Amino acid sequence: MKTFLTKIYTYVDERVQLEDLVQFMGKKYVPVHRHSVWYYFGGITLFLFLIQVVTGILLLLYYKSGEELAFESIQFIMSKVQFGWLIRSIHSWAANLFILAAVIHMFSVFFERAYRKPRELTWLTGMLMLFLGLGFGFSGYLLPWNELAFFATKVGTDIAGVVPVIGKPILIFLRGGEDVTGATLSRFFGFHVAVFPGIFTVLLGIHLLLVQRQGMSEPLGVEAGAAAPQKTMPFFPNFLLRDLLLWLIVLNILAILAVFFPWELGQKADPFAPAPAGILPEWYFLFMFQTLKMIPAQVWFIDGEVLGIVTFGIAGLLWMLVPFWDRKSARGEQNRTTTYIGIFVVGYIIILTILGWLL
Amino acid sequence: MKRLAAISALLVVCASYSFGADECVKCHQLLGDKPTQLFKKDIHASKGVSCADCHGGNPRSDDMERAMSKAAGFIGVPKGDAISEACAKCHADEAKMKSYGSALPVNQWKTLQTSVHGKLAVAGKEHIAQCTTCHGAHGIVSAKNPASPVHPLNVVKTCATCHSNAVYMRSYNPSLPVDQNEKYRTSVHGMRNAKGDTKVAECASCHGAHDIRSAKDLKSKVYATNLPATCGSCHSNAEYMKEYDIPTDQLEKFSSSVHGIALLQKHDLGAPACNSCHGNHAATPPGVESISKVCGTCHALNADLFSASPHKRAFDDLQLPECETCHGNHEIVAATNELLGTAPEATCGRCHSEEDNAKGFQAAALMRLLADSLESGEQQAQRLVDEAEQKGMEISEAKYKLRDARQARLEARTMVHAFDSDKFSDVIGKGLTVASTVHGEAQAAVDEYYFRRVGLGIATLIISVLVVSLYLTIRRIEKKQQKATVL
Amino acid sequence: MTSDPDDHVQPGKRDFLKLILGGSLVAWAASILYPLFAYLKPPKQAEVEVTSVKVGTLSSIEKDSGMIVRFGNKPVILVRSAAGELRAFDATCTHLDCTVQYHKEMGVIWCACHNGKYDFNGRNIAGPPPRPLDEYRVVLQGEEVLISKKS
Repeated sequence: MKTFLTKIYTYVDERVQLEDLVQFMGKKYVPVHRHSVWYYFGGITLFLFLIQVVTGILLLLYYKSGEELAFESIQFIMSKVQFGWLIRSIHSWAANLFILAAVIHMFSVFFERAYRKPRELTWLTGMLMLFLGLGFGFSGYLLPWNELAFFATKVGTDIAGVVPVIGKPILIFLRGGEDVTGATLSRFFGFHVAVFPGIFTVLLGIHLLLVQRQGMSEPLGVEAGAAAPQKTMPFFPNFLLRDLLLWLIVLNILAILAVFFPWELGQKADPFAPAPAGILPEWYFLFMFQTLKMIPAQVWFIDGEVLGIVTFGIAGLLWMLVPFWDRKSARGEQNRTTTYIGIFVVGYIIILTILGWLL
Repeated sequence: MKRLAAISALLVVCASYSFGADECVKCHQLLGDKPTQLFKKDIHASKGVSCADCHGGNPRSDDMERAMSKAAGFIGVPKGDAISEACAKCHADEAKMKSYGSALPVNQWKTLQTSVHGKLAVAGKEHIAQCTTCHGAHGIVSAKNPASPVHPLNVVKTCATCHSNAVYMRSYNPSLPVDQNEKYRTSVHGMRNAKGDTKVAECASCHGAHDIRSAKDLKSKVYATNLPATCGSCHSNAEYMKEYDIPTDQLEKFSSSVHGIALLQKHDLGAPACNSCHGNHAATPPGVESISKVCGTCHALNADLFSASPHKRAFDDLQLPECETCHGNHEIVAATNELLGTAPEATCGRCHSEEDNAKGFQAAALMRLLADSLESGEQQAQRLVDEAEQKGMEISEAKYKLRDARQARLEARTMVHAFDSDKFSDVIGKGLTVASTVHGEAQAAVDEYYFRRVGLGIATLIISVLVVSLYLTIRRIEKKQQKATVL
Repeated sequence: MTSDPDDHVQPGKRDFLKLILGGSLVAWAASILYPLFAYLKPPKQAEVEVTSVKVGTLSSIEKDSGMIVRFGNKPVILVRSAAGELRAFDATCTHLDCTVQYHKEMGVIWCACHNGKYDFNGRNIAGPPPRPLDEYRVVLQGEEVLISKKS
């Protein structure tokens, strides 16, 4: 048995120099300190993405896009296909946990200043992937073509349409026409299963390559205060096995969620029905939704909604470009301003999300 | 000479009248025409309405040429709508009517125009009915006056002049029967009316007077959904009905009955109104034997089964009203299993006591048992289907089959009327089989629900073991590494 | 990894841990693969909600007869007149949800529960039904008879 495996290993090694990779991984160390726990969220996000890929492909076997078929096909998956309910519920739950894990990963990177030189590109690709993840969520939400999704998409695309100058063309592009129709469904389906995954894979490749190449970043404080030799742990097998262990736990959580809280399907969308009460976007859009609701209709002479959207756009852009304006951290100095900004943003998102739920 | 003297004398007589009395009356009286004779007794004459008020002209002029000239506004005998318009000059003017001391309504002409009689007549120039058609022209008296053609005792005849004339009616509504008068005379209302009772219903009591609408018109007082209230306007009025010695709670009972709810609340025109059982123009309570026929016009299957059943003869012998004995009449509610069986509230036990009629008693008990078992079987299956559905399981197929159980239950309800326990248990058996199949399928769906939870439990167990052993493995590897570095 | 003297000290413990790890790994793989393969197996039932149903060939439907066809979760009655004309209606009686049937002697669509009758156009002509039966469309594709929802 052992000799057989060795033979295979040797066979592959002779052709692709596996030994180099093992050497590389063996020499890779992960710093150990009191913030180490945050290192795992990147891995969890990656794992959830892989789950999405697998369950997404499985759903594709039975899902049918189109106004007349989408809802019915999901109903079919949920009721007739063996374990269809499991696959769909896991896909829906994992989507939400993916965004959650990605957001935690992003903020941990932010607060540990891991974006500073030389990891600007890692941060940029990560941010782009987070935005893509939101796009995945928004487009995937519509695919079951149920009432809630229909109206959430209507509202969501409406908001995009408010952006000055480019808003209207964007709205038409997203909807595939003036209204949310079967054409919108086709487009969102295309984005969700072809366009986004393609871009995401490229970004993910770069992101992972950079992480492997540059190793894990150490927080500023730990670096500075460490007089004694750095505590580390080998990436392979110690860190990787821990990663796997966590992934198993996440998988189990997903199964529990899927069995006890199967994702609901609701009513089939009817474009002529009045909007049902209590339409909310997915929770990760809630803080933006709530902000737009709370901004007065007119601020000076600017339309409140436009102001909100433009502000969010600029804020998002600034956030993404933090490695380039946070010069202090880049030089390896403590920068309290960014910490305060980060705390403000986290607090704002949490409070507005809660308000969005309650109001 | 004599002739000349006579003419001059007449002129003197005429001239002498010209300052006080109505010249129209004076001359026309001398001519001896009938309208002038009749008009003397007319209510309008007593109120001081003159000929000229309707016909125009100058009543003070004794010159025929001048009095009846167009210049003086003379219109002669009005024709068509001009008749009613002439009446409406006063009767649509509240102030004028008040000046005559009248409190009559002033909307008659307006409502007449919107009524079924307000349609254009065959000639195409005028409405079918004018005021004079029913009220007469020169001998008009109050409707309360027995001489009036619209007095309760006369109105039927007045309406019948047209409505019993098949040739006349054909030109307006060929499908409308012309036998209302004949039928009316056979009804309780009609017979009392003929005896001079002015309180009983005549045509206008139900159809209205000026505002008569087609029975198919939603606003008609005799439209199916309005009819119970129309009948009830007299029959529910205890004060009004006092002298007749019949109950006055029919409308109240009907309104809460299965028929009343269907008709009045759900506006189901298939449901019976008063006239469906009692007849309309020939209104009378159905006789004991005819009850099953009357009910059977809609509940045909039940009536057929009943008529072929042993109960038919028994009921006839005992002079029991057929359907009514068990179901009641106006207050009839949807039949439930409670009606069947030997319990105190069931109807069978009223005749079939255990001592006197053991066979019937047992049959009733058996049928109730069967009916109850199907109902509970269906309910259990339904509950399980609901549970499975609520648990998110897909069982539309079982749900589809459950329809058959329901159908069997409804068929059994009908089959009761054959009063044959063999036939009854056949139908029930059909339903029970379906109910148990559905029950099985729904149970399987519920089991599947729990299978998922067990499956999750097993998977969780496996993952837990894997996690723990992986953790131990990691610890061991790290221990080894530590030893290696120490060495 | 180089050999460790400890490996030989507690061979029982090591084997046990390895056994557990390997065993649970296999079991775990099975618990993933079983649902996966079950999912991949296409179900027998028709795929999504029906919009039309094939009934059979025209020659297989007798004249002056009716048949109940399952349309999704609803029964539909297909009637063929003596003249050969085809009509389809929702077979649920509008009175109390019984399933109607074609009554050859009376030449009507008939509900056994309360003797409701509908004519060949689905109109309620006698008995308790309050309104006509909903009509479905009958489409002929060559010899094939299809029933579809009226839009």
